[in-house]
Amino acid sequence: MSVINVSAGSEAVLHIAAANAVTANSAVTSLVVPQMQDITINNQVGVFRFKTLDSTAESAVTIPATNQLTLNCVVDQTAFFGTGTPSDDDAKENGLFGLSKNKTQVYFNAYLNGTDSGSVYIRGTGFIAGLSPTVNMDSPVWVTPVSLEISGDIEHDLVP
Amino acid sequence: MAIRDSLKANLDVSLASSNVSVSSELPYEASGEPLYLKNMKFVYLDEDNISKTVLLNCLDNNDVIETETTVQVFLAVDAKTLPGDIDTIVANVINSRNSITNQVIRECEMTTETEADVLTYTFDYRFVTVT
Repeated sequence: MSVINVSAGSEAVLHIAAANAVTANSAVTSLVVPQMQDITINNQVGVFRFKTLDSTAESAVTIPATNQLTLNCVVDQTAFFGTGTPSDDDAKENGLFGLSKNKTQVYFNAYLNGTDSGSVYIRGTGFIAGLSPTVNMDSPVWVTPVSLEISGDIEHDLVP
Repeated sequence: MAIRDSLKANLDVSLASSNVSVSSELPYEASGEPLYLKNMKFVYLDEDNISKTVLLNCLDNNDVIETETTVQVFLAVDAKTLPGDIDTIVANVINSRNSITNQVIRECEMTTETEADVLTYTFDYRFVTVT
């Protein structure tokens, strides 16, 4: 048994890049989403159920899955609105807000136990959505949910 | 700059022409009696009490921290002969909370206690910042 424990900090990490999957591999070239409070990866396999007259129970077949990555994070000005530096990858340059507004397709790596060699991560492509920054006087820092609507399949791999 | 120092600087100005003075000493006990009971009509400010708690726990350990600072202020007066401007003095002491900037919460709660012929005002300030 090998429990994946993130209590040491900087273990659950999300890289986002607009250019290509290789760009998402590096914390330097990609947008590293800071101050995440939680992150959830959904692989919702679709199911079609049908009944037949010769059976007392429903039958089921799978249909394509709906994949989604959701998280909540504290709004960091640079990560949210971007660096504004044209030489940066579009994800870094435009930030989460720009990626959502421009409907930019992004590549992501979601690391489960850090970014060191041998660590496991899940990768895919998708679109940033679901931004909803909010603040109130009981919790006076901006926080926002983020959803990454994944297009196509997700894969897992080990950091080389 | 400690919040005590900022409060004292504000009280030095707002109570300058009143019937009470602001002491720069801490309200320690001398001969078993707090200084504010020995030296009535002097406002004494205690040291800052600071507590830091996690407001938002983040996965990268870059947590959002809430810092709560409390300060107690004491003023004792003769209960038989209150200073004529005591209402103004009390209002100024309470309003001095507004002189502390960059705080999410700036509260002041006043309580009074009478023992023999001494009326003691205790002001409990509470300030909260988030970083």
